[in-house]
Amino acid sequence: MTLVTIGTVIRSRLDTRSVEYQENLAAMQELWDGVAAELASVPTIGGQRYVDRHRKRGKMLVRERIEALIDPDTPFLELSPLAGWGTQDPVGVGSCTGIGIVEGVECAISGSDMTYRGGSGNPTSWKKGSRFHEIARENRLPVIVLNESAGADLPRQADLFIQGGGSFKDLTQLSKLGIPSITMAFGPNTAGGAYTPGMSDYTVFVKERGTAYLGGPPLVKMAIDEIVDEETLGGAEMHSRTSGLSDYLAVDELDAIRITRGIVRHLRWTKLGPGATEPDDPPLYDPAELLGCASADVRIPFDIRDVLARLLDGSRFEEFKPLYGDKLVCGWGSIHGFPVGILGNNGILFSEEASKGAQFIQLCNKRDIPLAFLHNITGFMVGSKAEQGGIIRNGAKLINAVSNSTVPHFNLMVGASYGAGNYGMAGKAYNPRFIFSWPNHRVAVMGPKQLAGVMEIVARNAAAGRGMEVDEEALAAQTADLEAQIEHESTALYSTGRLWDDGIIHPADSRTVMGMALSAVHSNVVQGATEYGVWRH
Amino acid sequence: MSISRLLIANRGEIAVRIARTAHRLGISTVGVYSEPDANALHVDSVDVAIALGGATPAESYLRGDAIIEAALATGADAIHPGYGFLAENAAFAQAVIDAGLVWVGPTPEQVTLLGDKVAAKRAALDAGVPTTSMIEVVDGRVAEGETVDYPALVKAAAGGGGRGMRVVRNADELDDAVAAASREALAAFGDGSVFIEPFLERGRHVEVQVFGDHHGNVVHLGERECSIQRRNQKVVEESPSAGITREVRSALCDGAVALARHVGYEGAGTVEFMVGADQTITFLEVNTRLQVEHPVTEAVTGLDLVELQLRVAAGEVLPITQADVTITGHAIEVRVVAEDPAAGWMPSTGRIDRFQVGGDEPDGVRVDTGVRDGAEISSDYDSLVAKVIAHAPTRVEAARQLARALRGSQITGIRTNVDTLVAILGETDYLAADTPTAYLDEHPDVLSPIGPAGDDRVALLLGAVFALEAERRSADRATPFAPSGWRNLRTQGQRQIWLELTGEHLHVEYTMRPVRLADGSTQWTASAWLGPWPDPDDEGVLAADDRTERRVRLLDRRVNGVAIEIDGRRCAVSTEIVHHTLGLDDDGVGAVTVHTRSAAGAVTLTRAPRFVLHDAQAEGGGPICPLPGTVIAVHVGAGDAVTDGQVLMVVEAMKMEHKILAAGDATVSEVRFAVGDRVDQGDLLVALDHGDEA
Repeated sequence: MTLVTIGTVIRSRLDTRSVEYQENLAAMQELWDGVAAELASVPTIGGQRYVDRHRKRGKMLVRERIEALIDPDTPFLELSPLAGWGTQDPVGVGSCTGIGIVEGVECAISGSDMTYRGGSGNPTSWKKGSRFHEIARENRLPVIVLNESAGADLPRQADLFIQGGGSFKDLTQLSKLGIPSITMAFGPNTAGGAYTPGMSDYTVFVKERGTAYLGGPPLVKMAIDEIVDEETLGGAEMHSRTSGLSDYLAVDELDAIRITRGIVRHLRWTKLGPGATEPDDPPLYDPAELLGCASADVRIPFDIRDVLARLLDGSRFEEFKPLYGDKLVCGWGSIHGFPVGILGNNGILFSEEASKGAQFIQLCNKRDIPLAFLHNITGFMVGSKAEQGGIIRNGAKLINAVSNSTVPHFNLMVGASYGAGNYGMAGKAYNPRFIFSWPNHRVAVMGPKQLAGVMEIVARNAAAGRGMEVDEEALAAQTADLEAQIEHESTALYSTGRLWDDGIIHPADSRTVMGMALSAVHSNVVQGATEYGVWRH
Repeated sequence: MSISRLLIANRGEIAVRIARTAHRLGISTVGVYSEPDANALHVDSVDVAIALGGATPAESYLRGDAIIEAALATGADAIHPGYGFLAENAAFAQAVIDAGLVWVGPTPEQVTLLGDKVAAKRAALDAGVPTTSMIEVVDGRVAEGETVDYPALVKAAAGGGGRGMRVVRNADELDDAVAAASREALAAFGDGSVFIEPFLERGRHVEVQVFGDHHGNVVHLGERECSIQRRNQKVVEESPSAGITREVRSALCDGAVALARHVGYEGAGTVEFMVGADQTITFLEVNTRLQVEHPVTEAVTGLDLVELQLRVAAGEVLPITQADVTITGHAIEVRVVAEDPAAGWMPSTGRIDRFQVGGDEPDGVRVDTGVRDGAEISSDYDSLVAKVIAHAPTRVEAARQLARALRGSQITGIRTNVDTLVAILGETDYLAADTPTAYLDEHPDVLSPIGPAGDDRVALLLGAVFALEAERRSADRATPFAPSGWRNLRTQGQRQIWLELTGEHLHVEYTMRPVRLADGSTQWTASAWLGPWPDPDDEGVLAADDRTERRVRLLDRRVNGVAIEIDGRRCAVSTEIVHHTLGLDDDGVGAVTVHTRSAAGAVTLTRAPRFVLHDAQAEGGGPICPLPGTVIAVHVGAGDAVTDGQVLMVVEAMKMEHKILAAGDATVSEVRFAVGDRVDQGDLLVALDHGDEA
C-alpha cells in the first residue's frame, strides 16, 4: 500500500558538527540542567522529614499513587511541574497534575502532596488546579483526583479564599458537560476541600484514612461544643454507610486505585476527534538534535525549518506561501500521525507575515486541522514604513484569526516571545490548549535591553522636558537594574512558575509531548471556526 | 506378496513414523482414529484415515474387527500394528491373516509362545540362551527339589510393567511375596502364575534387536541399554550399551539369534536381558513387535527397521546379512512424557499450547512425535509426547547434543519431564555410564532440577519482562508513539513483580529509552534493577538501594521473542505470553504467564497481580493468588506460626503447581480457601498477621 503523505522532506542545513552548534548545544544543556535540578527537587519539596513521616503511616507519595494508577508502561505527562517557581509558594506547589492513561483512557489526573503543609492549598496551587480543570474541560478528559488535603493554607487565605471556591464550580460544570470526575479520598478532605468529593461524579474513600467534614473536631468543639471523634464525624465508613458521600469503600490505597480503574472501565469512553491519520515515521533528522537547534541566546537567529525537520513525521512539510511573508513559516505536516498546521517564526512580523498567517489559520479552520505556533518572535515590525503599510490593520487580521479560530492551538516556545508577537502567535491570553517551553524561552513585552533602553529614552526625554541634567551615573545604574529585572522576569522558569505555560520540556522530548497533547485534544471534537470578527481589509 | 497399501493400526508418533517409511517406499497408507484424535498429527500423516469412533482404547484402537474392516474397505493389503494396542495380540494377528491381509509381525504362534514368560524362558533355555535358572511355582509353592538363592525375584508369567513383581531378600519373605505377586498378577493380567529368578543387584536392562525372515535368516542389530526407568517404564535408551563387556555383548547377541532361530522367528523382535554388576545374565522376555526405542538401533546401524519389517512381512528375503551390520558411534533416545517427575511422575493432561523441540535451528537430533501445537494429551492414551534421538561418535557427545536440543525445547500447556531429562544427561554417574535400573532412585536430585541459573536466568526473566512490555505498548491505543514509561518528572522506574513456580518473587524495575541508529530506526535500551526496591522502614525511611544497574539492549524484538543483550552478553529468548483472563493485563488485574526459553533452558514466570480483589471486609496482609486455578494443597491452619518463605498453599493452574509462600514471619489468622476450591487471580489466599513489629 502506498501511503499518500503530506508535504516533502525538509533539507536541514544545520551542521551539527560545527563549533557554533556544539557551543550552542552546551549552552542549552546548561539551561536544561538548571531545569532538571528544579524538577528533581519537586517530589520532596515538603522536606525529607515529612516524606518519611508520610511513609511511616503506610501511605504512598502522590507520584507513587499515580504510578500505581496508570496503565503499566504508558507515559505520564506531568503538567506545570515547576509552578510556583520564583513565587512565595514552593516549586511544584504541593500538587501533581498531568495526563495519564488509565484503562486505555487518557485522563486528567491530579493529586495533592500531603508532605507539603498537609496538602493544603496555596494561591499558586489554586492556579495550577484551575488550569488543570481548564485542560480537562477543553479537551474533554475524565478527571481523577487523588485527594488528601488539610484545606486551605490558612495564613495565605487572603490570596486564595475567594477565587479558590471556583474549583468546586469547575467540577460540577465538568459533570454537566458529561466529563466524569472520580475523587479518591486518601486522607482528610477538610472544610471547602470536602466539596472536592462532594462535587465529583464518583467518590472512593480509603477505610480508616479518608475523611471529609466541613469542620474538624476542634472547630466542632469551638462552634457547638460537641466532642466527637474523626471517624464518627467524617470517616470513610461513616460516609460509605451513613452519609452516602462515599460511593465505594476501599480497604487500602491500592484498593482505592483498583476501584477507580474499574470505574474508568465502565465509562466506555470514546474520543470524539478523528485521531492520528498520518504515518508516524520518525524524522529523517535526529530529534535529539533539537536541543542544539534553537539558540540558547534568543538574540541569535536560527531557521525554524531546522526545528521542523526534527519535529515532524518523516521531516515532511508542505510549506504554504514560501515566497510571501517569509518571516512567518506556515505549512502542513504531522506529529506522531496527527495532522497539524504549523506557524513558526523566522524573525519579526511584517504586514505580509500577518496577513499570510491569518489566511493560513482560516484554511486550517476550514480543514479542522489543529495549529501549532512555534514562538521565536521579537515582535511586530515598527517604524513609519511599517505603520504606513498597515501593520496594525494586518496585525489585527492575525489577532482576529487566532482569537476566533476554534481548532485546538498549541504553543511551543522554542525561542523568544516578545510583545504583540506573543498575541499574534496565539499566546497564553488566547487560550491555547497547551503551552510548552524550551529552557531557552524568553517572554516579555519586549527584550530586556530594548525595554531598559526605551525607559532610558523616556527618562532622558522627561529630564529634557523639565530642563534638568541627566544624572548619567544614576540613569546607567537604573537602566542596568531594570534590564536585570526584566531579564529575570523573562526566563522560562519565571514564566512556568506563574503558569504562563504548562511546563518546560526537554527539546528532544518535543515530539512525545506534542504527540500526547495532540492525542489529548482529540478526546474532544476537532472543529474549525466558521465565523470571525469583522476583518479590517 | 508385495504391499501396496498399508493400514497403520495405531496412533501418535509410531503411526507417523511408520507412515514416513511407507511413503518413502511408495506404499500408500491408511490411518485410523478415535474421536479425540480426529485432527491429530498421525491422521494428517496418512493418505486416508478411517474413523473408529469412541475415545478409550477399548472403543477405538483395540477394536480389531473394525480395523480389519477398515483395511478391507480401503483396499489395504497389510496391517502394521505399531507397538502397544493390538501389537502383541495373537488372536488379532490371526484374524488379520484370516482376512487375507499381510500381518506385519511375527506369526500368531510365535506371539503366543513368546508372550508367555515361562514358555519363553523355557524356549530360551532350550536354545542355549545365556541366563540364570528359573524356578517354577506351582500352586503357590516352589517345585520340589528346587533351591532358591537370595536375593530373588518373584515375577508374573503374564504381563509386565513391573506388576506382579517382588524382590525377596530371604526365605522368610518368600511365601508372602509369592502370594502378593500372584494376587497382583491375577488382578492385572487375569493369570496369577508366577516364577522365581535370582535378583541381580545393580542390574542393567540390555536388549538385543533381532530380525528374522520367512526363509530362515536371522540377524541381530546389536543391543540397546534401557536401564534408566521410572516404575519399570523406560526413560532413556541407548545403543550400544556402555555397561557390558565385549564377551557379554557377544553372548547376548548370539543368544538372541539362537532363540530366534530356535522358534523360526519372523520379523522384528527384541530379546530382553538383565545384566548384573558382575555381568551375570538373566533372560527376561521377548517382545514380538517394534520397540519404542528402535530409533537408537536405526541410528547406529543406518537401517530403517520399519522398512525391514515391511520387506520381511511381504515375504522378501532379509536384505542384509550379519556381516552387513556395523555399529557406528553412539545413539541415545529420551522419552519426553507428559508427566511431572517431581510429583511422583504424576500424569499431566490437557492442551499443548506450544510444541517445539530441537530449538529454532536443527540441532542434529531426530524428533519422533505425534503431537503439534494445540494437540490434546488425554488420560485415555499413553503419556509419550515425543522421542528425541541424538547420534554422535561418542556417548558423551551424543548426551551433550541431546541435552542442548532439550534445553532449547519448549512444550507448554502440560507438564513434562524435559528438565529431568536434561539433568540426567548432564549428571556425572550417567556420563560415567554408571546406570543400573535403580538409577532414578539413587539420583532423586534429577527429578527436581533447578533449571537455568545466573545470567541465563536473568536473561529469561528480562525476556519475559520486555515481551510483556512490548505487548502492552502495542496495545496502547492512545499514546502508542510514546517511549515506554516516559516521564517528564521521573521518581521511579517501571516496576513489576514476577512469580516463579517455586513461589519465589522476582522484582524488576526498569526504565527504557530509545536510541536512534544510523539508519534512523530505533533501538530500545533499558536500565534494569533486579531485586526488591527499597521499602520504608518502621520510621518511614527508605533503605539504601543495593541493587546494581543492568544495562540492557533489545537487539531484536519479535512477537514470540527477543534478542536481549545484558551488560554486553547477548541471549535469544523466545517467549509465549498466556493471558488467563479476558482482556489485556493493562487492566491491571489480569493474570499473565510468560513461558520463556533460551539455549540455556526454559522457565515459566507469572506476573504478580498489581491489585488484590479483596472485598472491603478483608483484613490483614497475606499472599494473593497469582492466577486463576484450584487449591491442591493447604499446609497451614488458623493460628499457626509461619516463617518467611514457608509454603502455605499450593495452587494448580495451567498444569503447573504454584507454591504460595509466606513473606516474612507471621501468624495465620485465616485460611480462606480449602483443597479443591477454585481461586481467582487477586484473591487473598491466606490472611497473615505479621504482628506489631514496632
